[in-house]
Amino acid sequence: MDYLFHGLLEAFRLLLGGDPETYSAVAATLKVSSYAMAASLLMGIPLGFVLGHLRFPGRRQARLVVDTLLSLPTVFIGLLVYAFVSRQGPLGHMGLLFTLPGIAIGQTLLALPVVIALTATAVESMDANLRVTLLSLGANRRQLMRDTLWEARHGILAAGLNAYGRVMTEVGISMMVGGNIKWHTRTITTAIALETNKGQFALGIALGLILLLIAFGVTAAMSLLRRK
Amino acid sequence: MAPLYRLERLRHHYDGHTVLAIDDWTLAAGSITGLVGANGCGKSTLLKLLGFVERPAEGEILFNGRRTVLRDEAPRRTVVLLPQENHLLKRTVFANVAYGLRVRKDRHQERARVAQALEWVGLPADTFARRPWFALSGGEARRVALAARLVLRPQVLLLDEPTTSVDGASAQRMKAAALHAHRQWGTSLIIASHDLSWLQEICDDVIHLFAGRILGTGLQTLLYGPWQALGADRVAMALGDGQQFVALRQADPAPAAVAAIDPRRLTLLAADQAPSAAQAVMEGILTSLILDQRAGGIHASARVGHTEFRVQLPADHPALAGLVPGRPARIAYAPDDVRWYA
Repeated sequence: MDYLFHGLLEAFRLLLGGDPETYSAVAATLKVSSYAMAASLLMGIPLGFVLGHLRFPGRRQARLVVDTLLSLPTVFIGLLVYAFVSRQGPLGHMGLLFTLPGIAIGQTLLALPVVIALTATAVESMDANLRVTLLSLGANRRQLMRDTLWEARHGILAAGLNAYGRVMTEVGISMMVGGNIKWHTRTITTAIALETNKGQFALGIALGLILLLIAFGVTAAMSLLRRK
Repeated sequence: MAPLYRLERLRHHYDGHTVLAIDDWTLAAGSITGLVGANGCGKSTLLKLLGFVERPAEGEILFNGRRTVLRDEAPRRTVVLLPQENHLLKRTVFANVAYGLRVRKDRHQERARVAQALEWVGLPADTFARRPWFALSGGEARRVALAARLVLRPQVLLLDEPTTSVDGASAQRMKAAALHAHRQWGTSLIIASHDLSWLQEICDDVIHLFAGRILGTGLQTLLYGPWQALGADRVAMALGDGQQFVALRQADPAPAAVAAIDPRRLTLLAADQAPSAAQAVMEGILTSLILDQRAGGIHASARVGHTEFRVQLPADHPALAGLVPGRPARIAYAPDDVRWYA
């Protein structure tokens, strides 16, 4: 069990010592997860609002599909994206295989159902009188959507955090689409998998702790936002 | 001049169940109108339709003589509804009151106008403006909601049971603020309420809703039955204390028939006064006496069993001498003055 303690020490050494390989993995992780989160929030929040607020034919079926996609395995997404962006795939000409944008596409697919489903739940669980209140004060359709989302902000924040958690911690997509290329597409999670394979447990634990530290920073920033 | 509202062949349904059926009804601008009726009679639905928050399933609502179309924004900027269920946005009191101004992109002197609106409902801005939505009592939250409507200086203000479940002081403040809007800016008020004495006091007209239909106007007393035959040509409704209300049997009696008697057709008998041969008499307790400042008469209310009868009398009526609420009163009426709604 020594490697647990060594891992902790190693984490400090890597971070404080400015280890370039570690920082490259941290940078890749942050970059790719930021792309994926930006894309999934931009698409997922309006779609979640539509699913949670509007009553249209096929809504329940759409909800069922989105809820099922919450259980999408990351390796399966990795496989799908790989099939699309590899040389023979329909998007092969875009050269996305083994790149950070390629990983980001896969992670967006991973995060999107989480953002849509949890935003829809947050909007659905709003007081039924909110709509009447906003309309009775003169809100138009755009203002109705904007302010319903704002009233549901705590639920939507939780949706974002949940999606971020999945994106940050996945290995399957990064490994299959990114290829774990050192200095290039190696993220923290793929680095941990590699170090563990090499028997470098302490280094693996150090990287795991760094991942937790980033998660802590994001969560703390969000909880500050939540007070507002 | 076109009426403020004209409703034509209006029908509204929830889950296939008709909740409102009004064939033709008009309302003049600048008036105060009361809306009374039992819970579930369609008052809230009618107010939501008049406030353009919902669209009628069938029929038309003409506003200022113009047909309104789906999601028409113009009327919703001049008609403002205070819904029955109080809902504040998860923001400060200030942001709640300023919301309507902001959606109208009207930020001119916003701070002063919000403070003034809070003042009208008796909430000093210094103390309340910065409070979050959850740090308010029920009465305060209701007053904030009203201030959020008053700040818009609407042409029409629809109030859905504004003073239900608020304390007496809050209710008084809200009533005064609504009247202020009417007097200052000529705002038309439409008020759904169970507070009949308030409506009696301020309304130009009172509309009775029953099962989604308008059952006449004025402060008539409605009697919902059940009706039992009394001889060949009369029916009676038990009033709950051994007495009964007698009416002439209608031509084709329907089981759900509602009888109505106009307050001017009821009278109070003085202590030593005998009823005329055509009159029936009920004994009840006088519950209120209100001076009608516009018409100059007196509105009296008396309870017989569970039913409150409203009586309109001239101010110099002899029965009023020495009569005070809480004392017994005899109400006389002619059974053939009863009107029927099928």
